[in-house]
Amino acid sequence: MALEPQPPSVRKRVKVYELRDNDWFDRGTGFCTGQFLEDEPRIFVESEDEPGRVLLETKINRDDGYQKQQETLIVWTEPTGTDMALSFQEAEGCAVIWDFVHSVQHHMGVATTDDLSEDLDSYHQVMLPAPELGNLPEIEQIMRVASMSQPGRDTLSKIVIRDDYVTKLIPLVSVAEDLESLPDLHRLCSIMKSVILLNDNTIIENVVADPLILGVVGALEYDPEFPTHKANHRQYLADESRFKEVVPIKDPIIRKKIRCTWRLQYLKDVVLARILDDPTFSVLNSLIFFNQVEIVNHIQSNAAFLKELFSVFDPRNPDMRRKEDAVQFLHQCAVIAKNLQPQGRASLYANFIGHGLFAVIAFAVKHPRPSVRTTGIDILVALLDHDPILMRGYMLKAVNEKKTPLTDTLIDLLHMESDLGVKNQLADAIKVLLDPQVTMQDAMGRAGPDYFAKLRPNNILSDAFVQHHFDESAKKLFMPMGNLEHRTNFHDLTFHEVALYAHLVDILGFFIRQDMFRNRHVLQTEAIAPRIAQLLTVPQKHLKLAAVKFFRGLIGLHDTFYQAILTRHNTFGLILDIVRETMPRDNLLNSACLELFECIRRENIKTLIVHVVEKYREKLLSIIYVDTFINLVNRYEQMQGYGADAEFTLSARGEEAQTPRVQPNGQRWPGVGEMDAAEEAYFNTSDDEEEWQQTNSDTAQNAPTLPPLPAAKPLVDYPDDDDEDAMDTQSDSTQAQKQEEKPSRQEPHLTQSPDIRPTTPPSQPPPERLSEKRRREEEDEDELVKLTSGGPKRRSSTSSNSGSAGFLRRKRSIEKGNTRSTGNVSAPPKKISINIGAKSSNTTTTTSSEKEN
Amino acid sequence: MSDLDGAIAQLRACRLIPEAQVRELCYKARELLIEEGNVVSVDAPVTICGDIHGQFHDLMELFRVGGDVPDTNYLFMGDFVDRGFYSLESFLLLLCLKVRYPDRMTLIRGNHESRQITTVYGFYDECIRKYGSANVWRYCCEVFDYLALGALVLGASSELEPSVSNVESTQAMMPIDDGELETEVLNSKGEVTVSTYRRRQRSSSNTSTDSRNISPPRDISAAPGNSSQAPLRSGAPGTGASGSGSGSYGNTSRTGAVLCVHGGLSPAIESVDKIRLIDRKQEVPHEGPMCDLLWSDPDEIEGWGLSPRGAGFLFGGDIVKGFNYTNDLSLVARAHQLVMEGYKEMFDGGIVTVWSAPNYCYRCGNVAAILELGEDTSNGGTVARNNGEYGRSNGLLMGSNGVGSSVVSPGRRYRVFEAAAQDTRGMPAKKPVADYFL
Repeated sequence: MALEPQPPSVRKRVKVYELRDNDWFDRGTGFCTGQFLEDEPRIFVESEDEPGRVLLETKINRDDGYQKQQETLIVWTEPTGTDMALSFQEAEGCAVIWDFVHSVQHHMGVATTDDLSEDLDSYHQVMLPAPELGNLPEIEQIMRVASMSQPGRDTLSKIVIRDDYVTKLIPLVSVAEDLESLPDLHRLCSIMKSVILLNDNTIIENVVADPLILGVVGALEYDPEFPTHKANHRQYLADESRFKEVVPIKDPIIRKKIRCTWRLQYLKDVVLARILDDPTFSVLNSLIFFNQVEIVNHIQSNAAFLKELFSVFDPRNPDMRRKEDAVQFLHQCAVIAKNLQPQGRASLYANFIGHGLFAVIAFAVKHPRPSVRTTGIDILVALLDHDPILMRGYMLKAVNEKKTPLTDTLIDLLHMESDLGVKNQLADAIKVLLDPQVTMQDAMGRAGPDYFAKLRPNNILSDAFVQHHFDESAKKLFMPMGNLEHRTNFHDLTFHEVALYAHLVDILGFFIRQDMFRNRHVLQTEAIAPRIAQLLTVPQKHLKLAAVKFFRGLIGLHDTFYQAILTRHNTFGLILDIVRETMPRDNLLNSACLELFECIRRENIKTLIVHVVEKYREKLLSIIYVDTFINLVNRYEQMQGYGADAEFTLSARGEEAQTPRVQPNGQRWPGVGEMDAAEEAYFNTSDDEEEWQQTNSDTAQNAPTLPPLPAAKPLVDYPDDDDEDAMDTQSDSTQAQKQEEKPSRQEPHLTQSPDIRPTTPPSQPPPERLSEKRRREEEDEDELVKLTSGGPKRRSSTSSNSGSAGFLRRKRSIEKGNTRSTGNVSAPPKKISINIGAKSSNTTTTTSSEKEN
Repeated sequence: MSDLDGAIAQLRACRLIPEAQVRELCYKARELLIEEGNVVSVDAPVTICGDIHGQFHDLMELFRVGGDVPDTNYLFMGDFVDRGFYSLESFLLLLCLKVRYPDRMTLIRGNHESRQITTVYGFYDECIRKYGSANVWRYCCEVFDYLALGALVLGASSELEPSVSNVESTQAMMPIDDGELETEVLNSKGEVTVSTYRRRQRSSSNTSTDSRNISPPRDISAAPGNSSQAPLRSGAPGTGASGSGSGSYGNTSRTGAVLCVHGGLSPAIESVDKIRLIDRKQEVPHEGPMCDLLWSDPDEIEGWGLSPRGAGFLFGGDIVKGFNYTNDLSLVARAHQLVMEGYKEMFDGGIVTVWSAPNYCYRCGNVAAILELGEDTSNGGTVARNNGEYGRSNGLLMGSNGVGSSVVSPGRRYRVFEAAAQDTRGMPAKKPVADYFL
């Protein structure tokens, strides 16, 4: 044991992963060796593509930070805090490197945790009695005590593995059942839970394997916390019919993996859902992830299988049922693919597309059953999420070849679809497909691995062509808007019409935000704006709201073209009518309208102020329950160079004067148009913020031709997210600073606000990158929160003791104190997380918008 | 409405309603919610509840302890979904009740009522598992966008009617001479465990601007469910110490309004009215006033601080005092943070955290609480709207530097309860996927 460890002589093929932003990033494939360099033991990985390029060089540490997971995986944390993983092609290769790491560590005097060959001396603290009914109380007790300490857990794990303890326990379940001995069954359940929560990969893999699984979940059916209940896990898991095969998968290893993965999921979601701690949860997730990677890889590399699978969709095949199942199957592949590395995903989709995935989607979206349509669109959306540019490439290619492009099909479906859920999805898909922001040139210019370009159909298409296609599609898409023209009465709008218009308005708003220029043509030639203005008068409030928000979006663009549109068709008159209709009431529609006018005033959009005041002065002045409108008139008069009306001098608007203007909503009772002096003073003092807003808007005004202000960009690009929250996105920090500079008597606390969100100065969200589109973000510092490290029921685990990094990681995943949160593995199927207890790069950031996926 | 009652009955039994019915429900709810202001006015009496987090059986327990709908008016401060295994059942039931009894149910938005958060913390997955597609999730998210951001409880009584308790220990808590029952904590059996009194005011010589004179049970060390230590905190020591308070009790003192939000205050919102200018129909933004209302937390600091959550702020006692004072509020009620005792008053009772998910995540071992505010009947039931949109009287604001503006905190009855008994709820579990290919 004291021998100098010998580095392994052969090179092992391996993939190097690095955890970045909670995602395993593939650093490349290469050959792994263990070496001594200047007497320091190191692991080297040399790239297989470019010999000589070092993918990884890491010094083996004394720290017990290395973990072997499954047969082919070694994970650890670099001293820098980065989580790394080596995924070996062969279990044997993994074992060789692992042995090397192991012996090196041993040599350095560190006992690693799962060294089975270790001296049995360390076992002496824990002795498990023979697995017999009579010993159950003692076993339970010993396990409970041993589980509390890390060495105890390690030892326990070793004993359980060495003695094949689980296998020996299982017969006791049926014995106890025969005896109807509930106490024994409860004990067995507790013991089994303890065993699983030891969080040892080997044990968990064992437990879900064929010979043991039913016995294990059998024991877990008798939860002592629910003494009057018995679960039926065995019945569920024994039901072979749940596994469906469209085309039989022949490889026995893959078949086994599929079964085990399903069981792991069941354990995670059902059997153990309540009791899982963080580390075990991560271990289950990573086991599932790596299984899925293998399964999907097997499928996509199996050409015969794919051929057979896609041949199911042959129009001559009458078996509808089988087709539906095949759609489901592909859908599951797509769901799993979401977790894969981009490259892996790309090749999977490329494979599928090569075999005719589009035909499948076309089949599914026209299927009579809404659920199949939904599934079909889900697959499409997954493709769009993966690479919208690629998809647009295919679409344009079809146009070029005079075939019906996917967009046309989708648009037709959107117009006709009766299922509102499917309609919703369709609208989302169309948004991404037609997204005007990214042209094909951008797509081509986008640097990427070579095969991205290879995959992409040959599509150096002119911008004019793209514009033409966009115009044609948009014309088709927004055609139903035209039907409104001769309509005077909107009371007979059907439910579906309302839904369709709401979607169309939303889509158009999105397009315009994405690209102001490309849409001008559409808006003009199709005369859509007056149609949307008509929608301001419909009785359906949410549609009315959608129209208001559309115009609010245009205002936020600060673009003269759209401003001109706004000044036509009595748009503001209609919006003012909404204010008047809803007036004394405080409701959503009313707030949305007020916000719109506040925005014009705040951002000092002169064209619009002039238009609104000159045309609707009477109307504005008649609305006095808030001072938004009077302020607007005042702003106008001030612009005209007039002195302010005596009546309003109190509000001292303008010019960064000593007395800031009245708070926009300081007075709030109907019929009272002015305030008395004392109150005025009160408001004035508490309202320095108006000032900076004005300065700010003045600057904005100076550059009216700027591209859309970030404020008008959705922060989160959800389909129906209209995030024109300019009120605050503009410059929180400016505000804070301003307040700091100008302390206010009434609110001394504001003077202490220099520390407001220092990390988020004008850090506007960058213009959304296309590839991020529609991707769900993890906004998730949610649960960063108060860490009370290690609540009552939290246990430490084998892996989480690797220093403070582990602690940080943990902290991040604890919400509101002491609870196991799904934080670090959030959204189980969406992200993997190997439990190596290290902080990921985003742990330390405070930005709330981490991308996930 | 019969199908709605049917849906309610079905959901109460923890059985889901069909997708088409969910869609219809969501559309109805949307029609209703679009009429609500960003800050809803709610008249006392009302029972204020914190986070639920999909713990359906505990929600049933809450209704058992607090009284059933529509007999009791409820105000839920968001976070209906995620984490627990029955987010759908819980949220849909609350939504059904909202549609069925719009005036008796108030739902406001929590930070978990968001697309982003629900995709990470379970609700999205639950929808997929239970309905097979994301459609129901979409419908629900659409409703989330329409939920109000806060509520203002008006007309709450400053004094509690002592609960009739069925335990012996009550005798120890006879109101002290001249005291007025201010807070009371009851366990789930309805037994009083803690009471605090405030001295009845006679003189009007108070010049303190901090008119609140309460003795909140700031740190209830033992679980409130433990009735044995009850009487210890009764009595008026704190009351006496904190001075006189309401300058003129009786005729002119008022109970200030209670602002309910999920998270807390925002540096961008200095007055409640300002919340009105938010166009709330959107995904919860990453920053700005709307975000802060749903994300911020009170903390033992001065002024504003950076929130470790990465969204919203931390705010100190001075901020709360200033905000309450400016807006004539007597209390801010919020949720958003787990408190082991179910509720926690901070900053001399200026703010309270109410948490209504017992044994959070089925493992935290905490108790839950709801807060009852009684109706002030002293003025014949008329509500003096202190911070209503239109009812504010000028005089109050004039006196901002002097005497007179006396706001009395409302009498607060906390009902503390534990997780639902196991025999009533079965084993909480997620629904497994039915079939699989891979």
